[in-house]
Formats: sequence, structure tokens, C-alpha cells
Amino acid sequence: MFFISLKAESLSKTYGSGLLSTGKCIFREVSLEIRKGKTFGLMGPSGEGKSTLGRVIAGLEKATAGFVYYNGTPLARMKKIEHTAFRRKVQVMFQDPTDAFNPRKKIGHAISEVLALLRVPGDEHASKTEEMLITAGLPDEVLSRYPSQLSGGQLQRLALGRILLLDPEYIILDEPTSALDVSVQAQILHLLKKVQAERNTGYLLISHDEAVIRFMSDSYGVLENGRLKIFQYHTNLKTLSEDKSIKNELKFWV
Amino acid sequence: MKARSGSRLLEVKDLQVSFQGIKTVNALSGISFSIGESETLALVGETGCGKSVAAHAIMRLLPPESRMNGVVEFRGKNLLELSEKEMTEIRGKEIGIIFQNPSLALNPVYSIGHQLAEPLRIHRKEKKEKALARAAGALKDMGFANAAEYIHYYPSWCSGGMNQRFLIAASTMLDPSLLIADEPGKGLDRKCVSELEAELKKLKVEKKTALLLISHDLAFVQRLADRVAVMYAGEIVEIADSSSLFENPLHPYSRGLLNSLPEKGFIPIPGFSPPLSSPPSGCRFHPRCPLRKKQCVETHPYLIETDGRAVRCFLYP
Repeated sequence: MFFISLKAESLSKTYGSGLLSTGKCIFREVSLEIRKGKTFGLMGPSGEGKSTLGRVIAGLEKATAGFVYYNGTPLARMKKIEHTAFRRKVQVMFQDPTDAFNPRKKIGHAISEVLALLRVPGDEHASKTEEMLITAGLPDEVLSRYPSQLSGGQLQRLALGRILLLDPEYIILDEPTSALDVSVQAQILHLLKKVQAERNTGYLLISHDEAVIRFMSDSYGVLENGRLKIFQYHTNLKTLSEDKSIKNELKFWV
Repeated sequence: MKARSGSRLLEVKDLQVSFQGIKTVNALSGISFSIGESETLALVGETGCGKSVAAHAIMRLLPPESRMNGVVEFRGKNLLELSEKEMTEIRGKEIGIIFQNPSLALNPVYSIGHQLAEPLRIHRKEKKEKALARAAGALKDMGFANAAEYIHYYPSWCSGGMNQRFLIAASTMLDPSLLIADEPGKGLDRKCVSELEAELKKLKVEKKTALLLISHDLAFVQRLADRVAVMYAGEIVEIADSSSLFENPLHPYSRGLLNSLPEKGFIPIPGFSPPLSSPPSGCRFHPRCPLRKKQCVETHPYLIETDGRAVRCFLYP
């Protein structure tokens, strides 16, 4: 069972290197592993390259050095068909849900487009869409709305629902709740947990919010000064909060 | 509910705002609150509950298709009845405002110094050099070491946190007696938010500025506010002292809001907030309320004051 994971091995990313300059190194020799049904939390201050790392792992950007392995095959050596399959199985959910939808298309249209891409026959669209709405916990009427007529929380649910149509094995969650209100944040986090329990999806959760990471993750890493430090939550929350350093961080919230 | 400390600076009575369109949207349906001198009142609630509309209505910055009713009394003057010219006198000078996104609220083509000096030049007719020198002084007070250099910077050269501080400096340049901060922490990371908090605290202590803080970040509100008003779907559902609200929230919505905080374990409120164009009958929170009774569906509860706090719920007589 060793191969069934999404794995990054000694990834480095440097921007703007060329003949004249050595460029700016974003992160160096980062290794991490995301397992199915588990959540890996990625933390760090803003501007440390958390999102870039997420994009590299999702295959949206190329790393300067290092490899991303999907089920044992390195991404760079994949054939085109394999790569397409990989891109379907590893999805990204972005920070601001309003940017993830085309403002000129009704939600129903945006959803059926995905279904058409997946070659779902036309007569199954309605049932598939309905199933998706139930998973996302939304009423039917959203289909006839434009993205600007929905709230941020509703759109983020839809973004997740649309991703789930592809039946992904891994989802890169790039700050999924930082644009949302606290009450909506709680709803979305619970929805994510439910989806994970039902479908055994692996998450890479990128967030600057310590509390969100602690609530969601099985293990987590902190990206700081280009290096990744990995921690394990091998005990439950309660014993963790008795740990001194984390207790100090918790004080910030209480 | 009356402000306890000192005399009243701003008093909002039954303020109603609606936007005319294909459907009339009642963004605010009769909210009342008051702010005393050097007091901090926070308006909290979910996105779209009308917090920002309240701020813009006080400053009279709403678009022309909006309709306003009610009274906004600032030092005995009803702001809603003033002419645009009189209002311009008050904006910036007596009431300052900080908008949501610091990088968007600053003008990208003018230098920081120019924008900081602008209120002085317009309201006090000061000369350019003198105003710039005062702007540099204000930045120095905010903890910028080489302020003389920063006044030549442009907003795009600076981080969001820095821009936020420039914006605070610009809005407090003329020592307004009331500062409205509309989601000041939005889009800033944790470090910048704590810097912002320190800045606002300093303002409260040193300049005795009254603050109307609008935010959905409850932890931030708890550390700054004296009193908190919880808003839901265009209404105030609860007003109380900050400490009593956070220790013992009365309204079911306030409780739900506090339960969705990380330290309470992210317990969500089921459902969504209603659209303001067609709010539900009776109590506006009833479709999502776990303690709903028959009465809640039929009749709309009033905001009733008991023991120095006000709640809009049938559970509390």
C-alpha cells in the first residue's frame, strides 16, 4: 500500500533565476505525503510560498527541482493520458469562491459544463446535479442564479460540489475559509470533514489559521524561511492542548 | 439602549435603509444604537446583514437609489438633514472612516504623503510643505522610524498592513471624535491584524476617539469593544456589554455565532441567512433557531431592554 499516496519529494522552487541573478528561492527541499482519507495541514505566514507549494503539487506549476509522485509515478514522466487522469484526480479549491465561477454564467450552466466535459450523457445531468446539490447542502434554486447573487459560503459549497463531480482522490484546499465569516467557516469545515469520511478523500489544507489546521489535520507542517517542519498529531486534541507551546498559542484565542 | 459612559456622541434612532430596484431590498429595518464619547461599539454579524450599510448611512455615502429614514444625531445635529456641503465639513473632520480594503482605499497614483496631507490642506487650508511635515510627524507617531522617506512612497510599494496604518493615519489626521472602522482586519494576515489592534487601542487611549467597529472577527471585537451589537438580517438582535455578551450570550443567534468560533469547536449554525428582499415572517432567525416556538413564526419580537442589555427574542421578557 506504499504507493497509494500523493507525495512530494525534495521540491524546490526558485523564481526569476537566470544568467544575471540567482533568483528568489521560495522553498527548498520540501518533502511531504498526503494519504487518502487523511488531511495534511500546511501552515506558515503569508508570502512564504504555501500556495505555490500547493500549486506545484497539483501540477499547475513546475518545480525547479524535485519530484511529485502520484501513486508511485513521477509527474514529470507521465504520458499525456496519465497526466489528464492525474489532473482529474487531484483538484484545487481556491481561497475566494467568487473568483472560481464565471460571473456571466448561471450556476446551472457552470455545473452542466463540467458534466459535459466528463462525457456524462445529457439525460443524466439533472440527476447528477441534484445529487451534487444534496452533498453540498444547497437548494435547487441556486442553479438559476448568477454567482454574484449568492453568498460566499454558498459559492464555496458549490465550488466543493463541482470538484466532487470529478470524484477526486485528493483535494488541495488553498485557504478554503479565510474569505468567509466565522459561522460559515464552521459550516464549510464540517462539510469538508463529512465529504472526507464518505469518500475517503485526501486533503492538503493550506491555511494561516492555527485553529483551522488543528481542527482538520492528522499531521501538519509549518513552512518558514523556505523549509518545511513536519509535526504529527498522534494524540487527540485534549492532550495536545496541554503541550506547553501549543497552550501558549491557544491563549491567543481564549 | 443608552450609552453608559459620558455623554452621547452619536445617536442612531430607527434608521431604515432600503435599495430600490427590481426588488426592494430592506438592508436595514429600523436599527437604533448610541455611542458615547470615547466609547467603542462593535457591530457584528454575518456578511450581508447590513453592518457596512449602517456605516455608510451614517457617513451618507450610500448610492442615490437608496432611501433612508430615521435619525442619525451627531452632537445634536441630524446628519440625514444636512446639505451635502455641511456633510463634507463633517466627513473626515469630525467623523473619520476606514474602509474595508486598505490597498483599494488609497489612491494608487498619489504618494502616501500627498494623501495624508490632503485632509489638512482641505479642512485646515494648510500650506503643502507644512502639511507634509505634519504627515511625516503623524507617521512617526505610528511607529514608522524613517517617516520622511515613507511619505514619498506609493501604496503599491507597501504591504497591506502598512497601507492599513497609512489609512488610519489619514483618517485620524484631523483628530475626529468618532472613527468608523469598516472591517479593518479584512484581507490582512494575523500579524497585521494584531498590529492594527494595537494601533486602534492606542487611538482609544491617547486620543480618546470613539470607535464604531464593524467586523465579523469575534475575537478581534472581544479585545477592543466596550459594547457589542449583534446584527442579523438588517436588525439588531442583541446589544450588551462586551464581557457579558461573550460570557453569556442571550439571543440564540449570538450563541450560535459564538459556538462557531474555533475554541468552541466550530459548531455551525444550520442553514443560511435569509435574503433581505424577502425576510421570513415573525422572528427573522426562526428558520434556523433550535428553540423556535409557534409564536416565533407568527409575530415579530421587539428589542426589549432588561438589566442593561437588550435582546430581540421571546425567550427573554
